[in-house]
Amino acid sequence: MKYNLWFGVYDGKEVKLSENFEESFLKAENPSPLPFNVSELGMQVLGEDYYQILRKTALQVSEKQVERELRREDRYVVALVKALEEIDEAINMLSEKLMDIKAVKESDITESFESKIGELKELRREVEREIEEVMRKIAPNMTELVGAKIAAKILERAGSMERLVRLPASKIQVIGAEKSLYKAFARMRRGKKAKIPKHGIIFLHPFIRTLPKSKRGKMARFLAAKLAIAAKIDYFRGEVDESLYESIRKRYEELRRK
Amino acid sequence: MRELMRNVYLKDGTLVTKSRYGSHYGEKVFGGFREWIPWRSKLAAMILKGHRLKLRGDEKVLYLGAASGTTVSHLADIVDEGVIYAVEYAAKPFEKLLELARERNNIIPLLLDASKPWKYSGIVEKVDLIYQDIAQKNQIEILESNAEFFLKKGGEIVIMVKARSIDSTAEPEEVFESVLKKMREKFEIISHGTLMPYHRDHIFIHAASRRKAKTF
Repeated sequence: MKYNLWFGVYDGKEVKLSENFEESFLKAENPSPLPFNVSELGMQVLGEDYYQILRKTALQVSEKQVERELRREDRYVVALVKALEEIDEAINMLSEKLMDIKAVKESDITESFESKIGELKELRREVEREIEEVMRKIAPNMTELVGAKIAAKILERAGSMERLVRLPASKIQVIGAEKSLYKAFARMRRGKKAKIPKHGIIFLHPFIRTLPKSKRGKMARFLAAKLAIAAKIDYFRGEVDESLYESIRKRYEELRRK
Repeated sequence: MRELMRNVYLKDGTLVTKSRYGSHYGEKVFGGFREWIPWRSKLAAMILKGHRLKLRGDEKVLYLGAASGTTVSHLADIVDEGVIYAVEYAAKPFEKLLELARERNNIIPLLLDASKPWKYSGIVEKVDLIYQDIAQKNQIEILESNAEFFLKKGGEIVIMVKARSIDSTAEPEEVFESVLKKMREKFEIISHGTLMPYHRDHIFIHAASRRKAKTF
């Protein structure tokens, strides 16, 4: 039996001390619980300084990990969301062509189409799962409020967490509805009446979608305001604030009752 | 001033821990004490609700879901001669936890997924206490696998359960009942209770490992 420990490898008799503690720290995996206590063995090898050396190694390793994680994760989500959109497009396009072919003639080729579409759908599910996992990590409050899917789409439109936290709530409210927003602005500039969109991506949220039209604007405004706060907490503090979800649920019920 | 637990006092109605360190999360610091805010820390809420942990101060603790280290900082005041292995998966709050770990010498920070204890099986030793506050659907399974890897015989467990993270549609009472039932299968429950008014729809469960299998 071989045990991987943060300070080296133990074969049941002797410890082969690692030359680089940071490396062995990252590889200290074992499939089942150790039949001995790491710290007791460690103190035999490293002496009284065991905990100080462990602490120093843990600090060095995690400082590097944190820096790497924070720099990369939001860009990863942005790329995944873009990929997801393309996958959807491909699925739609292939399904459409399949129908066209089927309408003319039932043949073997239609089966290959179907299996390819099935594979793409499986890929889409995988990408969605990955987005969900990363979003929970980098934006737990936004994910709690609107779900990973909507939160990720908003992040994708903003470009990065850094840019997202600098957006005002009013922008978050209409993000994704740029086309109709700028169309409305253009009409206003010409002195005409214009309908400014009440919601963009956040319309996908059931709390907005399920309300009557006249109340959606109010809910969208409220939700966007809370999202702006959530994004800031996610970026600067990272802890989950449970009162946020509670407040939007209350507001929703208020509006639904009226 | 009344001593509630080791290094934990009630000072003019305010919960504090004896500490020689400065403020970590905006809490007040005065004359060698740090205010312990029950709205921020569920462990503080649990103590104010009248529940105590018997700690000597030299315990080894595995803390799952350390977040930015609010509760860890006070626990580190209490087990000032022990060691806390603080596991947190999210990088953002971990930054703050790192600051704390740099300042104290009894915190080992681990940026790792608590649901994969084998990944840190060669780092974390056998511990006297597992503290878990991770608000995840499978938090009991995560606790069980960590206990299997790291909890000493006779070691204790404190977990915080948030009803909505286990099942967002069921009534909190139902969720708590099913969690307690699951816990009883593997552990000996010492006590449990709500954290009202500090944290809504949360309970704490204080348990211990079974010393030996039940015999009939």
